[in-house]
Amino acid sequence: MPSRPCGLAAVKISAFPFSSRRTVAALDLFLQTLLNGLLIGGVIATFTIAFQLTFGVLHVIDFAVGGWVVLGGYLGYFMAAGLGVDGFLAIPVAFVLFGILGYLIGPILYNVRNSRTARPELMALALTFGLFTLLRGGMLTFWGFNTHSVPTALSGESFTVGPVTVPLIRVAAAVFAIAIAGGLFLFLYRTRYGLAIRATAENRHNAALMGVNIRRLSANVYGLYAGITAMAGVLMGSIYSVNPEVGLRYTLFAFFVAVLAGLGSVGGALVAALMLGVIEAFVSTYVGSSYSLLAIFTTLFLVLLISPKGILRRGL
Amino acid sequence: MSTNDKGFSRRKFLGGSAVALTAGTLGMPFVRTARAQAATFKAGVITSLSGDNILGGNLTKRGYDLWADAINAKGGVEVGGDRFKVDMSYGDDQSNPATGADAAERLIVQNEVDVLFGPYTSGSTIAVQPICQKYQVPMISGSAESPNVWKAKPEFNFGIIPSVDTTSGMSLAVLAKLSNPAAKTIAVIGVNEPFSKETGEGFRDGVKAAGLEMVAYELVPPEGDLTPVISKIAALNPDVIAVGGHEEPLINVVKTCKSLNYRPKALIMHYGVTNPAFAQALGADADGTTGVAVWLPTVPYKDDLFGTAKEFAEMAQKKSGQEPDYTEAGCAASGLVLGDALKRLGKKPALKPEDRVALKDAIAETDIHTFYGPIKFEKEGPHYHDNTQPVPVLIQIQGGKTIAVGPKEAAAAPFIYPLPAWK
Amino acid sequence: MAEKSVKSRLPGLLLLAVILVALALMPLAVNSYWLRIATGALMWAGLACSWNILGGYAGYINFGHSAFFGLGAYASALLMGDPFGLPFLATIPAGMLVTALFAVIIGAPTLRLRGAYFAIATWAFAEVLIQFASVMDFTGGIGGIGLPPYLNERFFYYAMFGAAILTYLLTWALFEHSRFGLKVKALRDHEPAAEAMGINTSLVKLQTFVISAVTASVFGAIFAYWVTFINPKSVFGGDITDQMVVMVLLGGLGSLWGPAIGGVALFIVNRMVWMYWGDTAFYIAVLGAAIVLVVLFLPNGIAGLFAKRAKSATVLEKAAGKLDGSGGEGGRP
Repeated sequence: MPSRPCGLAAVKISAFPFSSRRTVAALDLFLQTLLNGLLIGGVIATFTIAFQLTFGVLHVIDFAVGGWVVLGGYLGYFMAAGLGVDGFLAIPVAFVLFGILGYLIGPILYNVRNSRTARPELMALALTFGLFTLLRGGMLTFWGFNTHSVPTALSGESFTVGPVTVPLIRVAAAVFAIAIAGGLFLFLYRTRYGLAIRATAENRHNAALMGVNIRRLSANVYGLYAGITAMAGVLMGSIYSVNPEVGLRYTLFAFFVAVLAGLGSVGGALVAALMLGVIEAFVSTYVGSSYSLLAIFTTLFLVLLISPKGILRRGL
Repeated sequence: MSTNDKGFSRRKFLGGSAVALTAGTLGMPFVRTARAQAATFKAGVITSLSGDNILGGNLTKRGYDLWADAINAKGGVEVGGDRFKVDMSYGDDQSNPATGADAAERLIVQNEVDVLFGPYTSGSTIAVQPICQKYQVPMISGSAESPNVWKAKPEFNFGIIPSVDTTSGMSLAVLAKLSNPAAKTIAVIGVNEPFSKETGEGFRDGVKAAGLEMVAYELVPPEGDLTPVISKIAALNPDVIAVGGHEEPLINVVKTCKSLNYRPKALIMHYGVTNPAFAQALGADADGTTGVAVWLPTVPYKDDLFGTAKEFAEMAQKKSGQEPDYTEAGCAASGLVLGDALKRLGKKPALKPEDRVALKDAIAETDIHTFYGPIKFEKEGPHYHDNTQPVPVLIQIQGGKTIAVGPKEAAAAPFIYPLPAWK
Repeated sequence: MAEKSVKSRLPGLLLLAVILVALALMPLAVNSYWLRIATGALMWAGLACSWNILGGYAGYINFGHSAFFGLGAYASALLMGDPFGLPFLATIPAGMLVTALFAVIIGAPTLRLRGAYFAIATWAFAEVLIQFASVMDFTGGIGGIGLPPYLNERFFYYAMFGAAILTYLLTWALFEHSRFGLKVKALRDHEPAAEAMGINTSLVKLQTFVISAVTASVFGAIFAYWVTFINPKSVFGGDITDQMVVMVLLGGLGSLWGPAIGGVALFIVNRMVWMYWGDTAFYIAVLGAAIVLVVLFLPNGIAGLFAKRAKSATVLEKAAGKLDGSGGEGGRP
């Protein structure tokens, strides 16, 4: 007789119709839930990793992050619907297009953040909020309110590993997140420009003294972040769906992951995202789906109180 | 603040503009806008033109407008041998009940409307009802489906669509009967937002009468990821999954099921399936999804203004590019109720306040047959002033099209059950 | 400010008196619809002031302020229903008490956080309340709660008017004209220095937080009764906090009348755009553009346009005497 599984898997299995297969089924569900959680984390990580850069370098919490995600999703939809191509093709296009757009907007943000008014950080946040609202209104006006989907070769595909089903598109998102994290790591720690970025994040005054053009660097970083986030948006449009009203949701999650990780910590973002994904999955499955977000926001609130610099204490 | 050589001060300019703007806005209440002099009936439309419910909100507006355009093309509503056009004005509730109440007050006080056409959401409808009561202006709601609207016993509100607690439960019974081999177990998902939750509860409450056993009832937050819930339900392996939600989560449910390679024998959703955007977003994956409709272009009803249901659908499709769903149809039918009531009332515009009360009474006596089906409002009970006449039709998406599959008398094609595995 | 003679302040006081009289007589002059607009404008002016107490005077950006608005709303809704059945006016102090309790419990640990962290923590708190209200049965869940309808529009106008007046009076008394206010502004300008000067910053912050919270809850209570129906998003939602923040920014952060100007202006613009462009979503874009323009060209708000051109030194600088004139980093121009 297999031993009874301990922990969470032992909860709430009274609904199973075949009690002789109870423990095996319970274990299967546990494994699937774990996988689901990790993949949700991977999905969240895609749009929260680059977000950390913005805070680290520009010291701005970009409210418009959700806007970049939705823009990427729409690009994917338009390319697929208009040109008949696979949604994946939109990913590099998103990077270039929105990278340039971000590069153009970055200096404005920089100027506001470094202006001599009272509360420049609040002003910068208000600016990004205004930008987000403008994007949302513009998208509603010109692109309408219908929900769309981004079709890709991997949409809806899955493979099975034992008792567990693995959605391929989510694996792609997780791979994307890891690639971005890895790429950023290499960029930040193995290149001169990355060094300049880290220096600016740590102490911009000294970095400026060392010859870094903070303004230009800020514009570049914002552009990089916008491009990466828009790429993630294409994937979001494929995994979920896209309409102008979902942007706020992504902003919410990005903010929360960022804080959980420690504002500005790129590495922490991956860990924090995975943690939130796993919490959401387990609470949803074993406690009740209506409590999943309550659990996440409460966790966030508690982490802020206990360890404000994030779970890894890496925040700025 | 910068000043250039010519002494132009940016500060002064901005300050002056601010003063001018303030003076202008403070003066607003005292400006009376010119009104059209022709004698017309005035109707005010409240709906969600922005915010979460913008999709449905636009559908209701389209429906009300279809009626207004059609009746005005004929010269207007017929009263005592003459015809009077209908003047429509609009208010956006921003998907927010408080704003809906504001909109209602504005339409009644500023625009002096004779009647209101009701909002898309039940929340707004409930918030507007006291305003109608206060000003004694009747409202006809082509969209609200929540039972809570009618539980409040609104004297001045009338609903075209039978409330969801009656339709969703009945639809399960129809489905269970059509399933072969007979379905035994069901899992219900309700999205935790207004109306979606009531739809889910409607399904839940109808399970027993349908002869099914409920293995799970899950309330999900609208922003949550659906993979944990679907995995959990897949492990329980019910025959049927019922989902109460609007388009976006419904689309996500189907996508999530496919990505987990899970296909229940039947998937029934309520509203949203009939919305063309659902099939458009999902493509071939939408096939097999079952929905509930109280009206379809194929139902065998007709009337003098719109013709048959089919003719109405063709006209609506031409105007908007999309096939109309039952919300749009219900809103157009609201206009028919108004037209009929005005005719019976026999009063010409402009209506006086006591005429509007009489109009309300006339609407309460409605008993007409339209392209939408029969319309008659309950006079008492939990569905007070709701039109409970229509019989829900079970529909299924087959080959990208919405086809009626039950009950047997209304079926245009066989019900596909169990659903085949994902391709 | 104390140096201004009564004579020089006379025009300002006269203007204030005229406005107050006009507001008091408004129900007699305008029709129901505009009265409704005015009621809403007064509420937002009051809420903006309430937010400004913590955001402008103490310098702590509260992104979850709607939590307190919502707590007041739900307190009234729950206490007026079964099984309590309390009269409306009795529910206000009860709501204030509950809100104060929450503010103390949440404020004590949260106020230890600085800047961005505090903002996000307060936002998280508001989201927790939305989720909690959505899943619990006693709060009516996502369907919300109805309140007994009371259709006396003048009552609500005067209720909001009274609440707004009291809020501004309280703000003026506590923050513009008292030692307490000096302490608050000192900790805003430079918290470590304020500590060093012997101010108990933790206590002062908490007191300010509670005052800000309780004033918001009063408006929440009146709002709930006025609208007769509330649900989690309609009273705890982020868009409520967003509006408050933008109103204060527009009007002028940290000034007494800024929130009133910003609140009324933005609300009226919102309603006007909604009236004239109401049938498209274009007005959202207009609002967004307006916010961007304000931030870029009017960072000190409308009140800032009328502020004296002379450099206003920080409170600490005034208190500590002349410094070496460099103005410090991020100081006002």
